[in-house]
Amino acid sequence: MELTYLLAVFLFVLILLLGSGVWVGLALMGVGGVILTLFSDRPAGDILITAVWSSSTSWTLTALPLFILMGEILYRTRLSEDLFRALAPLMQKLPGGLLHTNIVGSTLFAAVSGSSAATLTTVGKMSIPELRRRNYPEKKIIGTLAGAATLGLMIPPSLTLIVYGVTVNESITKLFMAGIIPGLVLAGMFMAYVALSVKVPDAGTEKTNEQTPATTTLQNMQLLLPLLILISTVIGSMYTGLATATEAAAVGVTGALALSAFQRELTFSAFQESLLGAVRTSALIALILMGASYLSVVMGFTGLPRDLAEYIGSLGLTPVMLLGALALLYIIIGMFLDGISSIVLTMAVVEPLVRTAGIDIIWFGIFIVVVVEMAQITPPVGFNLFVMQGMTGHQINYISRAAFPMFLIMALMIVLLTAFPGMATWLSTAVQ
Amino acid sequence: MRKVLDRLYQLSGAIAAFFLFCILLMIVIQMVARWSGIVVAGLTDIAGYCMAATSFFGLGYAMSRNSHIRVELVLSGMTSDRRLAEIICTGVSAMIAAAFAGFAIKANYISFVLGEKSQGQDAIAVWIPQLAMSIGTLVLLIALLDRLYGCIRSPGYDYKDLPSDVVRT
Repeated sequence: MELTYLLAVFLFVLILLLGSGVWVGLALMGVGGVILTLFSDRPAGDILITAVWSSSTSWTLTALPLFILMGEILYRTRLSEDLFRALAPLMQKLPGGLLHTNIVGSTLFAAVSGSSAATLTTVGKMSIPELRRRNYPEKKIIGTLAGAATLGLMIPPSLTLIVYGVTVNESITKLFMAGIIPGLVLAGMFMAYVALSVKVPDAGTEKTNEQTPATTTLQNMQLLLPLLILISTVIGSMYTGLATATEAAAVGVTGALALSAFQRELTFSAFQESLLGAVRTSALIALILMGASYLSVVMGFTGLPRDLAEYIGSLGLTPVMLLGALALLYIIIGMFLDGISSIVLTMAVVEPLVRTAGIDIIWFGIFIVVVVEMAQITPPVGFNLFVMQGMTGHQINYISRAAFPMFLIMALMIVLLTAFPGMATWLSTAVQ
Repeated sequence: MRKVLDRLYQLSGAIAAFFLFCILLMIVIQMVARWSGIVVAGLTDIAGYCMAATSFFGLGYAMSRNSHIRVELVLSGMTSDRRLAEIICTGVSAMIAAAFAGFAIKANYISFVLGEKSQGQDAIAVWIPQLAMSIGTLVLLIALLDRLYGCIRSPGYDYKDLPSDVVRT
């Protein structure tokens, strides 16, 4: 009975604070404070500071601002133009044509950036105008990019996976490795969709069929070289165990600086802007993490996560049923909250549940990322929808309808991932 | 007053950026040291403190740039009572932030009085890195009060539904 009462108060205060527009991190602190004051006589304030301070000084977490910084630096280089110029001649011959640049471009940029919004802006600022100029159907341009950019969350480095790893106390490197194959499979499925859907007769055809001589194709390919070197250094150094995730991030930042110096785009003001941009993004994540770390300590005191996990365990659900229920839960939460918030908010309860059910916690990280990716393009709140709206001026509804096929592909990905768990676990166990 | 506050947020952001650069330096030094077989004690702890300083000094700056995340679904759907709703939620946020800052300063003061030392290899006096927490949470509170004042003062206050720069998450 106590459990139901506690759960009711928790949900009520949480929904009230979040719904009224209190900033997520502060709302979580508020919920923690209320729960602790009502259900325990422990000092709410001292516990807040202990939890916040110990989570803020975490060394593992330093990978987060560094990977953000790396993306910020690369965003300010010519990478966006180079990506399109190098990929266009290659993709032209495929069925579906240049639409593939959205997907391959996102996949490549995702390998140096940890966020889907950064991936979307970097790839889109070049590909959207270029594809429009070639009369590709607007809906396909918007839809494929909004969907493919979510690969930024899955393909390492990934901010979402760092936050997940810190929350459940698992190796970031293992999580990163686990994301590679599912990320590539998902990209392949997106490409297959583009190739197939363009066979429909009234789909767009290129009006300006530019023929590029073979020599320029090669020259254009060279533009990709620095990026490929950067990707293989960062991922390779983690895979071989030469560097931890944090160190790989530092290598990545250094490499990104070198790349931008090589392109002669490294000015002091650009560097300053990158640092400040990274500060804003890490501060926004940090505030959420502070609130979440407090809330999870508080929840630990109340015993709610354990009781809830025991209760759900007693229902005798099979792992597949449990995963189905969790996927549904996260899609619903994801309609209102961003991915990182919904992960840290629920992990205190979901982690014991998943571990008790015997589900691999690394694999579950990838599972949850696919669901969070789906949430990125689901209205009313989906961050890729917002970013896309800012870039193109289309309505949220239009963009989400355009991206709906990608949503279905990701749903299929969840099924595949559950049927073939080796996709995620194989590389992560091969590491070291 | 406006100018002083804007300077404060900018300065706070610049300090955060400085510590972010320090994280990078610490980790590069540590890697180079490890490869060349030199042991430098306490670098990971210092990187951790730089991490905390980046986060805390960034809080108020990010608030002033409207970068922090919240659920705007209900707020943006409101037409007539939007201003009142903004005042309430910003007020509640400021109250929580005030408690946060208060407890942070209190904890900081206690570790100063007790002369608490870090558990790690660095053996640094904890109150020094904790200053970032005290100052940072205070700047966050100021930024929220600033915003609250703006909401109360002018009916046409720009709530900025969307973050001023692309949310990179």
